[in-house]
Amino acid sequence: MSKPAGKYGALAAFALLSVLLGVGVGSVTVPPGEVLAALLGAGEESTRTLIVHLRLPRVALAFLTGAALAVGGTVMQSVLENPLASPFGLGVSAGAGLGATGVMVAGASAGALGSVLMPAAGFAGGVLTVLLVLSLARALDRRISNVTVVLTGMVASLFFSAVMDLMAAMSPEYAQRIGLWQMGSFASRGWRGPAVLAAVLALCLAAFLAYAPELDLLTFGDEQARTMGVDPRRARRRLIVLVSVLTGAAVAFSGIIGFVDLIAPHVARRLFGARHRHTLPAGAVLGGSFMVLCDLAARTLAAPREIPVGAVTALLGAPFFLWIFFAKRGRR
Amino acid sequence: MLVVENLSCGYGGEDVVKDVSFTLPENGRLAVLGPNGSGKTTLLRAITGFLPARGKVTLDGTGLHAMSARERGAAVAVLGQMISAYFAYTVYETVLMGRYPHRRGGLFSRPDAADRQIAQDAIRRLGLWEERDRPVTELSGGQLQRVLLARTFAQTPRLILLDEPANHLDLKFRVELVEELKAWAAMPGHAAVGVFHDLDLALDFAGTVLLMDGGRAVYLGRASEMDPALLSRVFGLDVPSYMRRCRERWETLGG
Repeated sequence: MSKPAGKYGALAAFALLSVLLGVGVGSVTVPPGEVLAALLGAGEESTRTLIVHLRLPRVALAFLTGAALAVGGTVMQSVLENPLASPFGLGVSAGAGLGATGVMVAGASAGALGSVLMPAAGFAGGVLTVLLVLSLARALDRRISNVTVVLTGMVASLFFSAVMDLMAAMSPEYAQRIGLWQMGSFASRGWRGPAVLAAVLALCLAAFLAYAPELDLLTFGDEQARTMGVDPRRARRRLIVLVSVLTGAAVAFSGIIGFVDLIAPHVARRLFGARHRHTLPAGAVLGGSFMVLCDLAARTLAAPREIPVGAVTALLGAPFFLWIFFAKRGRR
Repeated sequence: MLVVENLSCGYGGEDVVKDVSFTLPENGRLAVLGPNGSGKTTLLRAITGFLPARGKVTLDGTGLHAMSARERGAAVAVLGQMISAYFAYTVYETVLMGRYPHRRGGLFSRPDAADRQIAQDAIRRLGLWEERDRPVTELSGGQLQRVLLARTFAQTPRLILLDEPANHLDLKFRVELVEELKAWAAMPGHAAVGVFHDLDLALDFAGTVLLMDGGRAVYLGRASEMDPALLSRVFGLDVPSYMRRCRERWETLGG
């Protein structure tokens, strides 16, 4: 029953700050005033080109990817009643990656066709993987406990990563691109990626917000959702397919980036409460801003070389994951 | 008010509940007894239609199995047990979720003032008002079960089905839970069916019992008139003499 308006204001300020930093800082650092001028179409031509045509699409892609992963993670954790679940942890990202790698190796990733085929293959790979992981988990353990799901997902992730390594080794002409992409990158993509991802994100987020009351109920388990009049299996199936669409699209454009899908929902719940009406939009903005800052670190820390952004998120995310895991265990 | 006729239900072709019939009047309370695997929980699932069942279940003249999930949620609540919560909803948010089946309006519709009032009343009634803004993840098992009960009351059902809601609770919470449920069932238009593991608790909850054995109802009637030999046969234990030993132990307490 608290007033979240102030928190949303702070969140918007954080998002704006991270975007300004993201477009302003780099090989040439542009002061915030000139960044704003460039964004509004004023200032020097060269600065405008740098900001609007080079950095802004990259920052937009980073933000949208972070937002998509955060939203996917939030929904995945809720439908599996498992705060440790995430599309990445369940192998959805790796499966989506495998699908997209297949398109890449088949030489169909270029042009307009590629911008449809890559996310479509990513989505297909993601859905198939989550189905595989969940049915495998069910076969191993009829009650589908949290630990079984997390472990099965990890096995699937590792296995699909190995298959991707294999594909990279077999097709040397794509090896470098696959390798870079396995750790994620937002390097020079233009506006096509951000535009497609923004559309997918907007549709999925709207669907999830419409499902917010059902998502709230599902976190309490199937029996309790059912007594309220929610069909848990049908709701879960639909929601997982949507998560796979969203994750598949994000992975297809920027590669496999872990931990944001796990962390952002936790931070959003801590700050905005557990209700999905708040967690979903707040998580999206937090995940997006965090990803922009991670990409900034990836570009600048070892400049002129670029660190894969997935390495940055993993370096920050792994300790955080451990903290969640042990904090939960300690309470029981 | 609740009429169950020739209800059968099972998993994979084999019936776990076999041809069970009973009626429950308004303000009625029925305790379902039986050993593990006798079909008690399956009976509850067959009544709600969560499992595909044969037979007929009507509540106030309306067939339960023909209702939509939402309509059924507005009429019948199932109270199970919640041992731990993973997501940090506040007590108030959790109880307010009980209004879900009553929500009118389409997508993005939210609880209205009446819904909020009902949730607040349920919270006050169970003495949780001071805890209303606490995350459920921080509550003890007993408090969590009270929150779940408040949510069940906020659901304003006509029938509550209890699926062993007290197993993990301390004695004090068990007794309080049963008292709250008895008071609820005494209100106009209400009735309750309870599955309890604990025989004492079951008889504390209701004077009328349905004894199940191998999926069949082998006794339906007043608990006080039940044949002790039948009870002992069903449970595979001399129940009366065991209960007597227990009572003697307590009577000799403190010398």
